[in-house]
Amino acid sequence: MGGASELPPGFHFFPSDEELVVHFLRRKASLLPCQPDIVPTLLLNRYDPWELNGKALQAGDQWYFFSHATQRRVTPNGYWSSICADETVRSGGCNVGLKKTLAFSIGEPSEAIETNWIMHEYHLLLDGRKESSSSTSTSSSRKSHKNKGHPNTESKDWVICRVFDSTRGSQVGFHEEGMELSCLDEVFLSLDDYDEVSLSNN
Amino acid sequence: MSISVNGQSCVPPGFRFHPTEEELLNYYLRKKVASQQIDLDVIRDVDLNKLEPWDIQEKCKIGSGPQNDWYFFSHKDKKYPTGTRTNRATAAGFWKATGRDKAIYNAVKRIGMRKTLVFYKGRAPHGQKSDWIMHEYRLEDASSAADPAAVTAAAAAAAAAASSDAAGQEDGWVVCRVFKKKHQHKESGGGGGGGGKHGGGGEHGHSGKAAAAAQQGLHYSSSDDALDQILQYMGRSCKQEHELLSPPQGAAGSGRAAASRYLRPIDTVLGGHGFMKLPPLESPSAAALTDTTPRSSAGGDAAHLRGGSGSGITDWAMMDRLVASHLNGQPDGGVAPADDHQLCFDDGAEDAADCGLAFYSAAASRLLGGGSGSGSDDDLWSFARSAAATSSSTERLSHVSL
Repeated sequence: MGGASELPPGFHFFPSDEELVVHFLRRKASLLPCQPDIVPTLLLNRYDPWELNGKALQAGDQWYFFSHATQRRVTPNGYWSSICADETVRSGGCNVGLKKTLAFSIGEPSEAIETNWIMHEYHLLLDGRKESSSSTSTSSSRKSHKNKGHPNTESKDWVICRVFDSTRGSQVGFHEEGMELSCLDEVFLSLDDYDEVSLSNN
Repeated sequence: MSISVNGQSCVPPGFRFHPTEEELLNYYLRKKVASQQIDLDVIRDVDLNKLEPWDIQEKCKIGSGPQNDWYFFSHKDKKYPTGTRTNRATAAGFWKATGRDKAIYNAVKRIGMRKTLVFYKGRAPHGQKSDWIMHEYRLEDASSAADPAAVTAAAAAAAAAASSDAAGQEDGWVVCRVFKKKHQHKESGGGGGGGGKHGGGGEHGHSGKAAAAAQQGLHYSSSDDALDQILQYMGRSCKQEHELLSPPQGAAGSGRAAASRYLRPIDTVLGGHGFMKLPPLESPSAAALTDTTPRSSAGGDAAHLRGGSGSGITDWAMMDRLVASHLNGQPDGGVAPADDHQLCFDDGAEDAADCGLAFYSAAASRLLGGGSGSGSDDDLWSFARSAAATSSSTERLSHVSL
């Protein structure tokens, strides 16, 4: 995990939406170095999600990478399509980003099969306002122009993405492990109440 | 006390301290027990009796990011000089164990045990239950391998392997993870879009994961060991039922009536997935008994185990047993007395018990699993295989498949 290798066991890359936008995407867009500089940039064609291994930053069962925003999210074997409404990402009371959720489908749109691969794609919002394009489903980026050294005009073209297989949640290991009570624990918890009722009745 | 250098957190953005159970046990707790230095003082020592759960967050903060769980070392303080029970009372309340301890395995062997505790405000027995949960991890102790209830069919082999190198009671140090129980709110799937909609401050870090969890059904995400626990309860409850319901005739009826008062909370807990909608379960035929020669008491009980099946109350009987066992449950992992009524693990009744347990394991996994986790399927199959090895009624177990 790049520059974080000196951390002791137990630390894992597990960024919040806000951190992704503020610490990573905003700095990337401003041409500032990200610290730690661990999220790679995958500029050219988009990869199939199972191809990300070794190219994107892997954290648990999730992959992170920077890319340019595009309307055509097509890969060699399929495409990403939006599956629900965009969410805003807030920081310090301001809307700082936009989070799109997309699902991966294999094949041509006419006869595509939706998979369990999910992508969260984060966009910057400028000046705490929503981009005008985000309220409609039209493009949030029109052209893939090159950097001109002016961060403010460039920012909206970068996105940071998190890709994961939604069926593999229980194998992640460090996300939910021990953080949810099992169904049986809940039963016992509930029964504990009745222990007390019966005790006080006796 | 966060880990920091010159007042600045040295946890880079995006990183969280969220160790796996194996990291907690094999790295942190082992080093603690061996009095070795741990890089960056991430997990600090805490006197559990002097720290209220709501003060833990401040005391055990790591880095500057949002945190949903907190970690500390604690030295177990004996309640009574001669006993083995631990004093977990604070000024405002007490920690009470719930359920049974869970064995923690790495890829190779058992490495420790996890106890789940709930914080109650006030004083026992009138405490008020809170949402604060603690998982207390201890390294493997040898005595637990001798606990008959721990030796279920599924765990027997692994436990035996683990006990050979178990290091005994490890010094009294435990490592704890404290978190606040989330109220079960079903997030509608939507493919992962629901993820960021958690209310509340500290939770937005989980969005990606929560979305995934929402898709696969949060309820069952950790049901892998549930079957094992149910089986352990079965082992205990057979005996207890025998004590509880002395007259065999009509006992099932009265037991049911008594237990049905308690069934509602279970139904509530299981939410929309209640067992009431279970498809009727096939029953193992009583003929299984004829090729074994169980002792009379065991045979009587084994028959009683299945007695209900003819009248279609099999799953009720199973629930009775679960409830009855809990209502009579010894607190905090008590030792099961080795009396003659311990039919489930009697040699003479082994076949019958295996058959019965396999049957109930099927019921249990239906009850808990619904159409869910592959984990429980695996458990079930490994159990079924081991049962089949000792039982001649292989074909009878075939219906266990889901």
